[in-house]
Amino acid sequence: MDVVVCVKRVPDASGMDALVIDASRKDIERRTLVAKINDWDEYALEAAAQLKEKAGVSLTAVTVGPDEWDDVLRRALAMGADRAIRVDEDMLAADCHAVSTVLAALVRTLPHDLVLFGAQSEDFGSGQLGVMVAEMLGIPHAALVVSLEVGEGSVRVDRELEAGALESYAIELPALLTIQTGVNRPRYISVGGIRRAMKKDLQIMSVSELGLTAEMLAPQAVLERLETPPRGKEAELISGPPEETAERLVGILRNAGIL
Amino acid sequence: MREILVVAEHRKQKVADISVQMLGKGRQLAGQAGADLVAVTIGTDVAGYARELSRYADRVLTAEVSGMQEPLAEPSQRVLSSIIRDRKPFLVLIGHSSFGMDLAPALAVELEVPLVTDCVDVSLEEDGLRAVRPVYNGKMNAVYSFALAQTVIVTGRVGEFPVGEGDRRGEFQEVSLPFGPLDYKRFEGYTEQEAAGVDITEANVLVSVGRGIKDRASIELAERLADALGGVVACSRPVVDYGWLPADRQVGLSGKTVKPKLYLALGISGAFQHVVGMRGANMIVAVNRDPGAPIFGIADYGIVDDILRVIPVLTEKVTGLRS
Repeated sequence: MDVVVCVKRVPDASGMDALVIDASRKDIERRTLVAKINDWDEYALEAAAQLKEKAGVSLTAVTVGPDEWDDVLRRALAMGADRAIRVDEDMLAADCHAVSTVLAALVRTLPHDLVLFGAQSEDFGSGQLGVMVAEMLGIPHAALVVSLEVGEGSVRVDRELEAGALESYAIELPALLTIQTGVNRPRYISVGGIRRAMKKDLQIMSVSELGLTAEMLAPQAVLERLETPPRGKEAELISGPPEETAERLVGILRNAGIL
Repeated sequence: MREILVVAEHRKQKVADISVQMLGKGRQLAGQAGADLVAVTIGTDVAGYARELSRYADRVLTAEVSGMQEPLAEPSQRVLSSIIRDRKPFLVLIGHSSFGMDLAPALAVELEVPLVTDCVDVSLEEDGLRAVRPVYNGKMNAVYSFALAQTVIVTGRVGEFPVGEGDRRGEFQEVSLPFGPLDYKRFEGYTEQEAAGVDITEANVLVSVGRGIKDRASIELAERLADALGGVVACSRPVVDYGWLPADRQVGLSGKTVKPKLYLALGISGAFQHVVGMRGANMIVAVNRDPGAPIFGIADYGIVDDILRVIPVLTEKVTGLRS
């Protein structure tokens, strides 16, 4: 069985640095931010790696981005991918439709029984790519998958709904699933594992090799600008060492009748 | 007449809140554009949903599909692509729910129309529609326009749009689109989370921990604080994902909605998916190392610090007061 996992590199925006809009007004200053693999994609890779532990699975990791994106493919290789392919195209300014067009064109060239995506990205979080690629490939999909079980020619999945509810499907392969966090516990990757993955070859392709033109990749939804969102009423900040902040908080809770 | 189409979703035998909110936004834009607001309900026995929708829409399209009690993405896509090709609404509004996430991207590709998901605002400007969506976990907003598109699909975030008056009497129109069951994708059932041990929705005080708790062992620190405060421990999604607490402790969109007297958010960044489940609390106190964490935008009181430093001291103070 051939499994393809699509992965993305994202800036780690969860840190303490305030995000700053750059001169283009369409992106943030990335220089100060550490890059990492998208959280959701790590769960998708782990799901694929667990399938691979059963016999006869070949796992390919793919991405679209400039050469520094190789590091997320190295990580994929360290997690168990047999091969990794990067389409060399900076698509930060592209819309989801354009990125999906590239990924669908790439996956079409690969044997694929099961295609896995993270359900969304940490940075833009549109949650569109996987489902768009499925439609472009003409294969069935399920988004927000929290459990999957591959059988003979089909996959059984639970999709996450609201408030802890689930819906279950049996889907014929080939199929595409977008994976929700918590579906598994992604394995720990050691520095040695990454180092061994550095020795493996990555395959680099261009969009023109995939038969795609600039016209086909024109955005349908045009990003005009980024803005700093208005925040609601800000919290009243209590500052000082823990001794003081805890003391003051206890006072506030007493006044509110909670203590 | 120009139209705005709202795709209605139902759960537990009623129209979902998110769909009523989409109708609220749709009504406002329809008024501005001089357009009709059209709702569509798809599934088995949808007449009841249609009646509810007719209070908000000028027209309700009903598409009866046999064997579809729950809203399912792929059969809905077949119905919707046909309706949208036929009626050419300039805007299609869908809730950014699990159903919407499963449906909208495929529908947009099939129809070759632009899509922006998880929007918190949609407006009609002189040169066309604008959609605004949060990015970078709510630290930024992205503003989108649409070049010469005849139809635009937008999915909207729950709780961000006003609910309309509900005083209309829209007309009904049946849509007949017969198609067979999907043999390649079989719906096998809908299950709700079973009620288990602690019911966090009943607690007056919730000590809720997020990623900032760092490891499983530190959960115990939060439990001691909760004991001292007479409350229980809840959490945000990552803590369940890591297996540190069971799923029935999770607050948020995919977990529980809670309204305690005190919600103590410890090491929780304040992602929308979490906030939507706790913003109804009487008092919210947040402790987080990141002064830019969105949680401080909704908390009443905030402490910028490492929770592992604050929790033990706070526990000691509360215990001291009680004894």
